[in-house]
Amino acid sequence: MAYLEMQNIDKSFNQVQVLKDVSLELEQGEIHALLGENGAGKSTLMNILGGVHQPDRGVITVSGQKVEMTSPKISQDQGISFIHQELNLVSDLRVYENMFLGSEIRNRFGFVDVNEMCRQTEEILTKLGVHINPKEYVRNLGTSYKQLIEISRALLHKSRIIIMDEPTTALSEHEVDRLFELMRNLKEDGISIIYISHKLKEVKAVCDRLTVLRDGKVVKTGDLKEESLDSITQYMVGKSLSEDRIIDEENFGETILKVEELTMPGVYKDIHFQIKKGEIVGFTGLAGDGRTELFESLFGYRKDYKGQVYVNGKLVNINHPKKALRAGIGYVPKDRKENAIIQDMNVVQNMSISSLNHFERKGFLRGKLEHNRFQEYKDKLNIKAHNPKATIDQLSGGNQQKVIIAKWLELNTDIIIFDNPTQGIDVGAKQEIYQHIIGLAKQGKAVIVLSSEAPEIMKICHSVYVMYQGEIAGYFKGEDTTEDKIMSYATGSKKEAVTVG
Amino acid sequence: MAESQLKQQTNENKPNRMKSGLNWLWSDYSVVIAFIIIFIAASIMSSRFLDIGNLMNILMQVSIIGIIALGMTVIMLSGGIDLSVGSVLALVGVVTVTALNATGSVVLAVISALVAGPLIGLLNGLMIAKGRIAAFIATLGMMAGARSIALYIADGGSISGEVQEFSLISNSELGIVDYPIIIFLAMTAFVYILMHNTRFGRYVYAIGSNEKSARLSAINVEKMKLAIYSLGGLMVSVAAIIETSRLNSISSSSSGQLYELDAIAAVIIGGTRMTGGRGKIIGTFFGVLILGILNNMMNLMNVSPHLQGFVKGLIIIIAVVFQKRE
Repeated sequence: MAYLEMQNIDKSFNQVQVLKDVSLELEQGEIHALLGENGAGKSTLMNILGGVHQPDRGVITVSGQKVEMTSPKISQDQGISFIHQELNLVSDLRVYENMFLGSEIRNRFGFVDVNEMCRQTEEILTKLGVHINPKEYVRNLGTSYKQLIEISRALLHKSRIIIMDEPTTALSEHEVDRLFELMRNLKEDGISIIYISHKLKEVKAVCDRLTVLRDGKVVKTGDLKEESLDSITQYMVGKSLSEDRIIDEENFGETILKVEELTMPGVYKDIHFQIKKGEIVGFTGLAGDGRTELFESLFGYRKDYKGQVYVNGKLVNINHPKKALRAGIGYVPKDRKENAIIQDMNVVQNMSISSLNHFERKGFLRGKLEHNRFQEYKDKLNIKAHNPKATIDQLSGGNQQKVIIAKWLELNTDIIIFDNPTQGIDVGAKQEIYQHIIGLAKQGKAVIVLSSEAPEIMKICHSVYVMYQGEIAGYFKGEDTTEDKIMSYATGSKKEAVTVG
Repeated sequence: MAESQLKQQTNENKPNRMKSGLNWLWSDYSVVIAFIIIFIAASIMSSRFLDIGNLMNILMQVSIIGIIALGMTVIMLSGGIDLSVGSVLALVGVVTVTALNATGSVVLAVISALVAGPLIGLLNGLMIAKGRIAAFIATLGMMAGARSIALYIADGGSISGEVQEFSLISNSELGIVDYPIIIFLAMTAFVYILMHNTRFGRYVYAIGSNEKSARLSAINVEKMKLAIYSLGGLMVSVAAIIETSRLNSISSSSSGQLYELDAIAAVIIGGTRMTGGRGKIIGTFFGVLILGILNNMMNLMNVSPHLQGFVKGLIIIIAVVFQKRE
């Protein structure tokens, strides 16, 4: 019997089934890869294991005993540690304080026993083969060290199962090697690891077995040795692999946006690119590559940048989103909840907020005009909103995103930037949003899509720029793009001088 | 086909809509329900309460705080706060009387009041929007500063107007309705329309709900904040004119003391969220009336003035507890 078993797990959110009859077995002392595209249900499954969500159906057993993971605390008590992609450390505290946060050791007078905590911290870190001063502030440490501290914390709490969610995204090659060595050591000690990653080569290098999820179902579970990279990809994406690119025709007009020598110290530098009417250009890279900041600057949300931006051949100085709008640049931001929706306003008002002058007569807003226009977009974009007067946060992510897209369609800018347009959206709505993006290009608009998901970029872009640490590291025509190529440029292992325009 | 689909949809929605209708009534108008309850309770507890003279008296008493609270609502809806309103009222009052005595013209006095308030509001807005100082801190500074300048100009005491016509503003009536009441109602209508039927109002809600989204929606947040605090100042100006005109004098030391707390209390009782984005002008209007009725009731029932603050505090806390429930 496996050390951890999750059997027949079902889970739905708002009547959308995210997990269907999912089972996962984890042996003692193995590294188990959990794979699947974004939205396949990996995080939900792990959140159920971590006690964050409760399954609608199904059983979890740890070493043969049935456990109800009703809270994260219970999960931790069962020896399960979750190392999130966004590290969970308090940067203003010292290393040892982070290690013992919530479980401080106290001496007999009730004061914290700093020496003892430092000693234990040092002991564990030495075991992992690193030397960090336990009294160092976490904010002074590099990302890989922060990761190590999270892992040490898991060991400190005598965890038997460690879940790692995309641990290598922020690590350099050398650091990745060190992490893998560490994982193998942990395995020797009988600790089991669930390893979530999109980087199949790394998975192949370090994992023993795999489970692949697709659309909330397990499509494959078994030994990794028998699988090739191709066959794993096949499981992850399903049949849609062949019909990958959904855009082919190229019907470009003249150059509409030209960017030269755009630099923001420490964030991005020396950015050159141009885009024609009717073209869809993708920008991709790893987290922290500076692409979001670059386009926030182009949209005037950030001001401290240098360089030239030409729209329709005219030099423009954009230092406020209002000016970007006047120049004909629209921006659908990422992280919808923080940046795009206005939670307290209703669906119609969210659609009209940037274009209220379209709905004014003699200085007063006409609700009826707004409402009618919304109905048009509702039909056109297939927005499912039963009550347009309800606040926007009651809609699903996909429908919220469509409302935001409607907002920018109403403004009808010639250039439109989509930052991570399908974040947290289900598969069906994703396809619709791709279609709308392609439709905009067909109308002769210039479209820029930022995304960290290579398949998405490859699917809908005419050309692709890959960014690495604030610089454009690579440029491809859409049909020549492969996920491998993107990866090798995005991780900085390859770089080319780009001469475009 | 389309028609049958539509029909089906409306049928499906009916029970839902009924329920959401009740919810909507409760969440948007709980302050109105509270007002009705307090109004009925007051008329039962005191026979003099329903007297038309008494009711007019209540309206008259709340008109000044009411007008300030209207401006405060807009500021709080945008996610800010203005602690300086009481001091600014005193300063504007001093400026008004000084102008009145210097020029002998009521019109010029009113104009200088209507200029002074928005200017000080603009200064608040500049500190908050351009200087990126927290609204609480910036207006706390203004509260001390404005009071001090008022004291300096008036040499610490009261100054009285030498033009008698000025006192007509607060001491005339149309039928049985005093001018201040009419001004209060007119201001309520003005701010209501501004908030519900214009771009300005929509932007205020957007900024209070999610400032970053608002900025990324190409709203000029900085400019809006200047306008919002200037509007708050304008409301204080109007209130200052009424206050000064009442006795044709203003006290630089005691006029406007603690008005900011009463105004904020009215806004909170009216259901506006402290952090902004949600709330209604009508809510504030009834919040003001509730405070007025409570004061009036306690006076009619001879509650010690020392205890009246306790009751007011209790009501504010109860109001906030109810809001949290939602």
